[in-house]
Amino acid sequence: MTTLITTAEAEAGTRIQTKSFITRNVGKAILKNGLTVLTKEMHDKPVVATIIWYRVGSRNEELGQTGKSHFLEHMLFKGTDRYRKGEIDLITHLNGGANNAFTWLDFTAYYFTFASDRWEAALEIEASRMRNTTFVEEEFAPEKQVVEEELRIGLDGPWEALENEVWATAFRQHPYHWPTVGWLEDLEAASGADMKAYYDKWYHPRRATLVVAGDFDTVEVLQKIEELFGPVPPGPVIAPLNILEPPQRGEKRLVVKKQTPVERLLIGYHAPEVAHPDSYALKVAEAVLSTGKSSRLYQRLVERDQSVTKAGACYHDHIDPSLFYFQAELKPGFKLADVERATFEEIDRLKRGDISTAEIDKAKRQIEASLVLSSEEPLQQATLLGRYETIAFGEHVPEDSRGYHYLDTLLERVAAVTTQEIATGAQKYFTEDNRTVGYLISDGESGAKERDLAA
Amino acid sequence: MQHSQKRITPPRLDVERVELPNGLVLLLSENHSIPSVSINAIVRAGSRFEADEKAGLASLVGALLDAGTVSRTSQQIAEAIEAAGGQLGTFGDYQSSGALVRLLSKDAGLGLDVASDLLINATFPEDKVRQDIDRRVAQIKARLDVPRTQASDVFNEIVFEGSPQHRPPIGYEGTVMTLTRADVEGFYRRYYVPENTMLAIAGDIDKNEVKSMAEATFGKWPRSAEFETPQVPQPHRQTSPIERFVTASKEQVNVVIGHLGIERKNPDYYDLLVMDTILGSSPGFTSRIPRILRDEQGLAYSTFSNITSSAGLDPGRFIAYIGTAPENLDRVISGLRGEIARIVEGGVTPEELETARLYLTGSFVFHFQRNSQIAEFLLEAEIYGLGFDYLERYPELIRAVSVEDVNRVTRKYIDPQKLTTVVVGPVDEQGKSVVSSP
Repeated sequence: MTTLITTAEAEAGTRIQTKSFITRNVGKAILKNGLTVLTKEMHDKPVVATIIWYRVGSRNEELGQTGKSHFLEHMLFKGTDRYRKGEIDLITHLNGGANNAFTWLDFTAYYFTFASDRWEAALEIEASRMRNTTFVEEEFAPEKQVVEEELRIGLDGPWEALENEVWATAFRQHPYHWPTVGWLEDLEAASGADMKAYYDKWYHPRRATLVVAGDFDTVEVLQKIEELFGPVPPGPVIAPLNILEPPQRGEKRLVVKKQTPVERLLIGYHAPEVAHPDSYALKVAEAVLSTGKSSRLYQRLVERDQSVTKAGACYHDHIDPSLFYFQAELKPGFKLADVERATFEEIDRLKRGDISTAEIDKAKRQIEASLVLSSEEPLQQATLLGRYETIAFGEHVPEDSRGYHYLDTLLERVAAVTTQEIATGAQKYFTEDNRTVGYLISDGESGAKERDLAA
Repeated sequence: MQHSQKRITPPRLDVERVELPNGLVLLLSENHSIPSVSINAIVRAGSRFEADEKAGLASLVGALLDAGTVSRTSQQIAEAIEAAGGQLGTFGDYQSSGALVRLLSKDAGLGLDVASDLLINATFPEDKVRQDIDRRVAQIKARLDVPRTQASDVFNEIVFEGSPQHRPPIGYEGTVMTLTRADVEGFYRRYYVPENTMLAIAGDIDKNEVKSMAEATFGKWPRSAEFETPQVPQPHRQTSPIERFVTASKEQVNVVIGHLGIERKNPDYYDLLVMDTILGSSPGFTSRIPRILRDEQGLAYSTFSNITSSAGLDPGRFIAYIGTAPENLDRVISGLRGEIARIVEGGVTPEELETARLYLTGSFVFHFQRNSQIAEFLLEAEIYGLGFDYLERYPELIRAVSVEDVNRVTRKYIDPQKLTTVVVGPVDEQGKSVVSSP
């Protein structure tokens, strides 16, 4: 059986030196049908986590059809030719396991965790629902209501409302324009046939990565995976998505009104994709600005100005260029324009290179330690491995950082970041023309007061 | 249906309990799977010890633990932990308060040094007290932005009337604004004492080494001469149904239905844990409420029920929750009430019982994956007298539960005739739909 598996990595002798404990002892195989398999055998806890990643998310959707990736995720729990409706959950339940799934801009992922003496049902279920989900018509309507309710929870959230508007304004052409859950109006129009067609387009071995981490025997597991997934046809070749967001030429500003007692600020700057050479300096900048109470935004806005209840900066890795954004929740009596100005002043300090070595060292240690502190569970490790295998791909990603190896080079690249690179990165990306500024204000029902809309 | 008949060996924890001469209880558990350590330094005090007019005091004290000590400023405290890449949180909750530290294991000594400093030597600078009160007033207002929280707050006011649990631990705008530095200092002096403190340390440590470190830091903390645990007023079960509709301009209505619950030490806890699993607490949609209201009828994204998850030193609450579009309001209220009545009147089936027992015994291993989870378990075992062999005994406790047990405790603790129903959303005070803002 194992002969059918082509080992993609070089043999042990020439294997790249791994620097992160997360990638230690990871094995990679690619089945003939293109399914990527990552295994990480470790016996310190009697559990096994499995997670399968499909490289399809709201990034792959089209206008008028948004939210399909997420809706499809829901439908994959509704039964296959082998498992009746409810049976996937029941098997999980009887075996004392847990399962769930998540969809984001770039991917959809499904996971199980089980005790290690009873985990293989997870592989059987994933093999079955990769191609044999049934899409029974009477299941479609109630689940559509469920997804609409999920979307309404978001509509009731003030941060979600503001984030949606800022991303929709910053991205004019690229599909990061719409939120992962989609627009309610598109969802209302979706049909069961639409979902089936979308599933048939994207759910195939060649777009998937299966990660198994925990207490198992690698040789046995690879055989089992080959047996279950090997017979699935590879699926169509789909040309890579090539939608580029043109450079933003001028600041964009927007206001969202909502019944809220608390005003909020969100400023987004277009920023580079995962593994971009500039991305590492921006990660260090993110930590300097926002990680912990000693960080700059906390010290400036919460401690010194005392104008906000919380403030932060956020920069996530995505397949395509996304946003580096700043958030603040204001205390009553303070003005959005003032908090915005204070945020710009902190950004300007980075641009001037006004950062001490101790601060940069602290930020680097925080990035390193958070990787350890957030990887205690096999599922957390499997999630990190699968996520980077899914998003860090393509010619533009340096070979030594491609796929899960991104985690090998991450700390090394972060460690090499200099003050000058942070300053240069800030000067390059945190510009007026490159930013979208969003204000969330009260719609007047709860304590509206005069305010200026422009900074 | 496939499920394993094999029985996995329950996880074992190597636990050491030491009582220091000053009365502080030290709980240690060593494992080396990840180079990290969790340190939970917990005082047995919280908002259950504060008076109504001081609502929010325990929470304020907890939040200000890192606002400065005799030898460190707030910024030096944050710098010390963060320069090592660690994470520090301080809190004051309903029944406990303290500091939580997560660090790489090589920095365990630093963690103990800082945690002991916060519990022994906090100074509560006046300007920091004012500043945090200000921030809390804004946070209290922001609770209205989360309709689920708002519904839960209103529900607690009704169900826990007469006991401190009716209040949100963060307090009210009116009470928090009147709190003073003297109040903070007084609470800290009275309850933050070694004989009221537990220190749980779990992770990649050498127990003997950490024990000496703990003695060197927390060991020098003198006993308090006059410490005593106050009596907490207990709530009463309601005697008739109560309905409350709160108007809020939202897309969804959030519904909470239930009444008073149980204490963690209640001997019927395990029978009720099985009941929870059958009625509304299992993951996925295997339990009745999510299966019927979400999976079959498509009425909600989020719906569940439970009575054991809020069981603590004082009785918690039995709740059933759902968030849905306003047009479904009547259906979800009668749906939830119907399921509550059905399990009380009709009981559970042997098949449901078996499914729930398999789930509870099989999933127990997942409560011990992270060092922070292990530290939390050590504290719970200490507070509720579970015994450190609890992990080995738990499967037997669950397997001993019968259909009759579940039916008996369901009838005893759940009363479909005396439920509180709270609805927050685009409804008027009679529960009629009102037009929400576009």
